[in-house]
Order: sequence, then structure tokens, then C-alpha cells
Amino acid sequence: MTVSANPPSLGLPATIIGLVAGVILTAIGVVYGFIQGLSVQIIILSAIATLGAFVWAWRFVLGQFMNQDAEPLGEGQISEGRRVWLQFRPAIYGLLVLLALFIILSLTIDGFFNVWNVVSFLIILTIIVLTRTLGRHFQENRSAFIGIMVLCGLFSIGSMNIEGFASANNIKSMLLFASFLGIASVGQTLVALLGGLDLSIPFIIGAANVGLLYLIGLGVPPWLAAIIVLAIGTLLGVINGLLSYRLQGQALIVTLGTGFAISGGVQIITSIGSAYSGNVFGQVPPWLSNLAAMNGSTFGLPFPPVIAIWGLVLIVLIAGMRLTVYGRYLYALGVNRTSAKRVMISELGYWVTMYAISGFFAALTGGLLLGWSGGGFIGVGDQYLFLTLAAVVVGGTSLLGGQGGYGFTVIGVLVLQVLSSFLIGIGLDFEWQQFIFGLLILPMVALYARSPHIRTQI
Amino acid sequence: MSQAGMTLDGNGEAVPETEAAAMVRGGRANPFLLVPITLFFLLLGLAVLRSPSLMTSYGLGSAVIVATPLILATYALMASVISGRGTVDLSIGPLIGFINVTLIQLYAAEILQNPIAIFAYAIALGALYQFVFALIVIYVRVQPIIVSLSGYLALSGINLVILPRPGGMAPQFMADWGLGTSIFSPVFVILVLATLAWLLFTRTAFYTHLRLMGSDERAAYTSGVPIFIVRIGAHIISGGFAGLAAIAFTALISSGDPSQGTTYTLIAVTALVLGGASLGGGRAGVFGSFLGAVNLYLITYVLATFNFGAVQSFVTNLAYGSILVISLLLTLIIPFIQRHIHNFSPVLYFVVLGVVALGVILHATNDHDPRARRAPAETAVVTMQVLEPIPADQLYVGPLEVARPDARTDELRRDAVPMILSAILLVVIAVFLRLAVSRSNRRTVAPAVAVVVASLVLLAAYLVREQADDGAGTPPQAPAGNTERVQ
Repeated sequence: MTVSANPPSLGLPATIIGLVAGVILTAIGVVYGFIQGLSVQIIILSAIATLGAFVWAWRFVLGQFMNQDAEPLGEGQISEGRRVWLQFRPAIYGLLVLLALFIILSLTIDGFFNVWNVVSFLIILTIIVLTRTLGRHFQENRSAFIGIMVLCGLFSIGSMNIEGFASANNIKSMLLFASFLGIASVGQTLVALLGGLDLSIPFIIGAANVGLLYLIGLGVPPWLAAIIVLAIGTLLGVINGLLSYRLQGQALIVTLGTGFAISGGVQIITSIGSAYSGNVFGQVPPWLSNLAAMNGSTFGLPFPPVIAIWGLVLIVLIAGMRLTVYGRYLYALGVNRTSAKRVMISELGYWVTMYAISGFFAALTGGLLLGWSGGGFIGVGDQYLFLTLAAVVVGGTSLLGGQGGYGFTVIGVLVLQVLSSFLIGIGLDFEWQQFIFGLLILPMVALYARSPHIRTQI
Repeated sequence: MSQAGMTLDGNGEAVPETEAAAMVRGGRANPFLLVPITLFFLLLGLAVLRSPSLMTSYGLGSAVIVATPLILATYALMASVISGRGTVDLSIGPLIGFINVTLIQLYAAEILQNPIAIFAYAIALGALYQFVFALIVIYVRVQPIIVSLSGYLALSGINLVILPRPGGMAPQFMADWGLGTSIFSPVFVILVLATLAWLLFTRTAFYTHLRLMGSDERAAYTSGVPIFIVRIGAHIISGGFAGLAAIAFTALISSGDPSQGTTYTLIAVTALVLGGASLGGGRAGVFGSFLGAVNLYLITYVLATFNFGAVQSFVTNLAYGSILVISLLLTLIIPFIQRHIHNFSPVLYFVVLGVVALGVILHATNDHDPRARRAPAETAVVTMQVLEPIPADQLYVGPLEVARPDARTDELRRDAVPMILSAILLVVIAVFLRLAVSRSNRRTVAPAVAVVVASLVLLAAYLVREQADDGAGTPPQAPAGNTERVQ
């Protein structure tokens, strides 16, 4: 409606919020400058520059989006202050709660109140405000936007608070663990796109881990053993797919059952004729160790090849799912299987293929984890039972099917990994990490994956 | 036909057509119980044959103690699963663990001492957690499975913070609950009361609303069911059962354990599905859930009698998984069965199989007597009820019956037999009375068939027992033959 030549006018609340945020940011800059001992002129100059740049950016960015919202609210009977109150009530409540939490923490924990924590708190606030204001304008890839915001925020907070968080070594180790989780979540993502679940992934990981070492211990050449394990993993995936397709809606429990059976069966086989029940010993070939160990190298470059493998998988999957007909049909099937059937998409074929891919990548993760740890252990995949699911939902792939993609899961994997490193960095134990993971998944998902009210579904 | 029965159901029995339709409909009540019932009696027979000491006061007592937490956890899961939207509460296990560890810590801090306070605390804590769960599902509108995943991670983390390693003491009054020396322990009373409470609950209109909401939430909403209140109610009931399960769990282990409770999630989901419930919502029953949980217990029990040694837990896993998948596949053929057998009644099926199982139990507990009496020297050596491991080559072809009861077990068994017999007789009479009343005006031969089969099996069991008593020196071919016939 408004001609876009002149910058659109913002509403009063947005202007106030922008000004307040700008002033706070400037104040932080000023305090920080004095602490560092810079000269007063530089501080004043940069403060003015910061304020000006921020206010301009605020006006420009928000103005683009808020144009339509601001129009109809021109003449209202209710006063301006009350309207602001009504419009931003939940946000203000949330901010107050966060502020109260911060004050309580500052009062109870010694040494909690320092510059870095205040800055971290402000970054969190900025992320929340930005996701609430900007996020609603991204209809398509909202979860990706929020995920990237959270990732940036976590990473900057981590590198400010923790010594060596942003060092090359730490980033390398984070990427290494992220690639294990990422490869394990490939199958979960694909299956979730169809509307299924695959809980047998951790069991196949454990079984492949033990089985590969067992085969190597028997004297099978390592490359052949790896191929055999991958083939068996794929075969188990096919079985999972057939069963889950027949038993629609019960995928959760079917895959859990096959998972139990697989892990039990492999352990029985490997412990026949062995004095150490369940534990397998053997020599891991050096190429497998190099593949996944921290100090491995890829064609002479100093990072483990598993990261490169993950990158390759990522590119192939994203390109394949976005550009090929086969990939688009996958989404079609997930959104509406009846209409997908009408256009001759084979439902059974997709279920079996996706579960087979899931089994393959789970077996691959198991083999890679063997290279990383150097010893077979059936429980190595246990944590992936819920982590793969968490990565998928945090990334923004709907468990009901048809929405999302592997790119989203990658963001979820990175968020979980950075969060986990951060929690380790500030010295929390595993149990506290798990607790915080649990509490954080809910709000992250609630930011973008809320289902509509029942009224609107009829 | 069945449609007509549905619509004319309220008109009474004046029209013969309605009556016939009602008969068809009545005969179709929940065919999904077919699998759990069959499995239950199969496993029960196998368990009794493998280890007859199950059918003693002590054996049943410990069975009740071990199985009750699982059964109650399954009930807790059932209440929320019925409410639909795929509410499979993965956090039920950690919740049980959470109540357990906080209970132990509060008792150690001498805050909770009174038994009533402890019960109230456990139930209230479970209900409170589930209340918050329901509020999140309703108002934040996130998929329930994500909420439960979040709860699973958070609770299993905080459990380890509250109690880093297993330990602590259960409240004093619970100390002897876990012994399981008698069937009628307090834990058994809890189980019975919980089951009765659920059965009473199914009589209310609230339960009808709950099932309607579970099978079709939109239909429920448009027909005026207050779905938010119903959902909150379902979750609170689930939380109450979780609290009871936590108390039974505490009584079982007599201490606190932060991680053991977590395993109940997967077992309870398995038990629920084994009991014929639909994880999609709307279909679940207390009878099926009970049988499902008991079946899982029996699987573990039967496998434990085989003594696989070091690979025991792997075999248990394998069996859990395969039985779960197979029983799920069996539910696929139920529609075919339904098409061919119109008058299938789960109750009748239960009674018939129950009588067969009774025969097996009688055989297992009594027919070994002559052999035991004949060779007293051998049994005196075997003082424990633990069997030797079976060689691997005999595992699959070896004889089914390897139990060698000792003198004390024999004595216990002889004491227990009249009691079991009279109890089962009472149950059978009650069921038959109910059948006779409910089917008095229907033209069906099903009760007659049941009566004939029951009396035949009872007669066979009686004859076998007579024979075994008479010929103390007869070769043990007769019991073996009987086993084949009964099975």
C-alpha cells in the first residue's frame, strides 16, 4: 500500500524496543571500552556509531517486515499504552521471568554476576526477540532460521565464557562427534519424512560395532568384513521396512522389537565359543582407526575423514531430496499418501528403501565408532536412541511426515553438539547435561513446531 | 447385520432380529485379546512344566512382587495412550525412578515417615507431573511424543543428580513387602485395588469420552466433549498409577535406584502392545494390559529356567524382541479370523484355555510325585531349585521337563494343591454363571462346548492323577503321554 521509496513508519512499541535495545548495546560497549582502558574519545565515537548503526538497522530490517502489520492499527479507541500491553503481553511476561531467573542466579551463586554472563544473558534475549519478531516472516524455513540463530548464540556465548572453546582442536572434536550423530540421524530423518520412526538404529549401531570386530577377529579381511556388516545392516533395514509397512502406525514398537532381537542375536552369535560373554577383542585395522580417530588425516589434511564423509553424505542427500524426482516423491508420500498412491508412487518401495538406508547408515556409524574407540561394545549406540530423535525434532523435521529434510537435521545435530560441548565446558556432569537437554528440547520445538488448535482442524 | 444391531440396540429384546444382531455383536467383543490370551496360557504351561515351584505360595508370592511394578507401569501408560494423538509416554520409566529416589531421600531426611503420607506423596507427585505434561500438550500444542522425550531426558538426568548410585533404605513398613513369601502381600492388595479402580472407572461417562477422544479427537470436539478436561483427567489418572508403580517398585528393590526405573519405559510399552492396545489411541483394556505385562514376566521366568549362563540377558532380549514382533504380526490375521469365526468370545476362550492350563498345572505339580518318592536319595542331594545348565546340543531337542523337585517343594505343593484347585474352581463357576446368565436367551452352543471341553480335560487330569497314585512303580510313560495330549 505504502510506496516503498520512503522508509515505512514503525509503530511506537517497535521504536521504543529498538531504542532501548540500542541504548543497552551502546552501554555495554561503553562499559567494555572503559574496562579495556581505551581513550574516552574512541569510546564516545564508537558508542555513537553503534547506536546509530543499530537504530538504522532496526528501522530498516523491521520496517520491511512490519509494514503490513502497522497499517490497520492506525486509529484505535484504546490508548497506545494499553495496545502495546495487549500486543506484547506474553513477551513481556517471558522477559520478566528470564530477568527474575537471572537475578536469582546472581544472588544465589557466588561469582555468577560478571560481565561475561551479563553479555551472554543479553545475547540470549536478543536471540529470543529476533526469533519472535523476524521468525514469523519465514514461513518456509522458520526452524532452520531459529536453529541457526540458536547455534550462533550458543557458539558466541561458549567462546566468550570458555577458554579454548573456539580453538581449532575443539571445533574439530565437535565436528567429529557431530558427524557420528549426523550419520546416525540420516535414517531417522528419511523415515520421519515418511511418517515412521526407527528406534532400531542404536541397536544396529551396537550390533555392527561388535559384529565387525568379531568378523575381523575370525580372520575375515577387514574390507570384506565391513562390506558384510553394511550388507547385513541394509538387510535388517529392509526387514524393518517390510514389517513397519505392514503394521502401519506401529513403527515405534516394531523397530524397538527388531532392535532388541538384533542386539540379542548378535551377542549370542559373538559369544558362542568365547569365554568373555558380550565382549569382543580384536585388532582394529589402521585404515579404520584413521577414518574416525581424532588425529586422522584426509589426503594429508589434518582432519579425520569421517567429517568429509559426513559432508559428502550431506551434499548428496540435500541435492538428491531437493532436485531429483525420487526425492520430491518422498515428500509427496509424507504429506498425503493417498494422493501419492494415485500418481503411482510405490508406497511399499519407499518404506523399504528408506528403512534400508537407515539400516545401512546405522551399520556405518557402528563401524566408524569401532574405528574411533578401538574396541567392540554392544552398548556404544545406546545414547543414539533418543539423540537421533532429538536431532530430528530440534532441526524441525515433523515426525508426522512430509516436512523438513536432512539439512534441518544437520542444524539440529550441530545445535545439540555445541550445546553439549558448552555444558561440558562449564563443568557440568553427564546427568546435568541430560537434564538440561531434556528441558531445552521442549522450548526449541515449541518455537516453531506447534500444531494448530483443534478448532482450526475441523 | 452388525450395523442394525448397533442402531436397534436400545430397543430391547422384543424383536428377534435385534437379538440375533446383538448376539453377533456381543461375540465380537475385542478380538485383539486373542493373542495375549493364547500367549499367556502357552507361557504359563511352559513355565509350570519347566519349574513347578511357580505354583506354590512362595513362587506365586514372588511372582506378584516382581510383576506388580510392571503391571502398574503398563496401566499408567495405558491411561495416557487411550487419549490419542500418539501419546506414548516414554517418560513413564524415569518418572517411576524419580518418585522412587525422591521418596528414598525424603525418607532418609525424615520428612516423610507416615505410610499414608508416603502413598499420598507418590501419587500426588505422579499426578502433578502428568498434569504439567497435559497442560503442555494442550496449551503449548507440541506433539506429545516430543514432550515425553523431553521428560525422559530431563528426569533420567535429574534422577542421577538426586541419587548418584543405587542405595538408601526403603521406609520401615515396606521392609518385608519385598520378601514375597505369601500371595496376599500388601503389594498384591495394591494391584487388586488398582485394577478394581480402573474397572470402576470404565463404568463412567468420562471413560466413554476418553475413548471417543482417543479414536477421533475432532469428532469428540464437535460433539461437545470437553476434550481439554478429558485429556487432563486421563493424564492425572496415569500419574496416579505411576505413583503406585513407584511404590511397588520401591517395595521390590527395598532401596533407591536412579537408573533401574528407566528400563520400565521400554518394557511397559512392549507389554501394552502385547496386550492388544493400539498406540494410536482409543483402544486399550485393563485385561489386555494385565496379560501383556504378565506375559513379559513369564517370558523372563521361562527363559531363566533354561539357565543360559552368561548369555542369559542376550537371550532374554532376543526373545522379547521376536515375541513382540510376532505378536504384532499375529494381530494382522485377526480380521481373517473374525471373518470365519463369528462367535468368538474372549471370555470363553480364556475359560477353555484356562481349563487346559489347569490340566497342565495339575500334571506338572502332581505327576512327578511317584518319581520323587521312588528316588529319595537323589532328591536329597538337590536342595536348591536351581537347575544345571543344559548342554547346547540338547537345548533344542532335549526333553521339556527337567524339573526335579525336592522334598520340601513337594510338601509345599501338596499343601497348595487343594487351595489352588478350590480357587480355580470358584473362578470357573463364577465365569460359567456369568456366561449362563448373559447367554440364556441366545441360541448358541458355545457354553455347552466349553462345559464339555472343561469336563473332559478335568476328567483326564483326574484320571492321570489316579493312575499316578495307584501305580507307584509304573514307568513314567503315562505323564509324558498326557503332556502330548494336553498340549
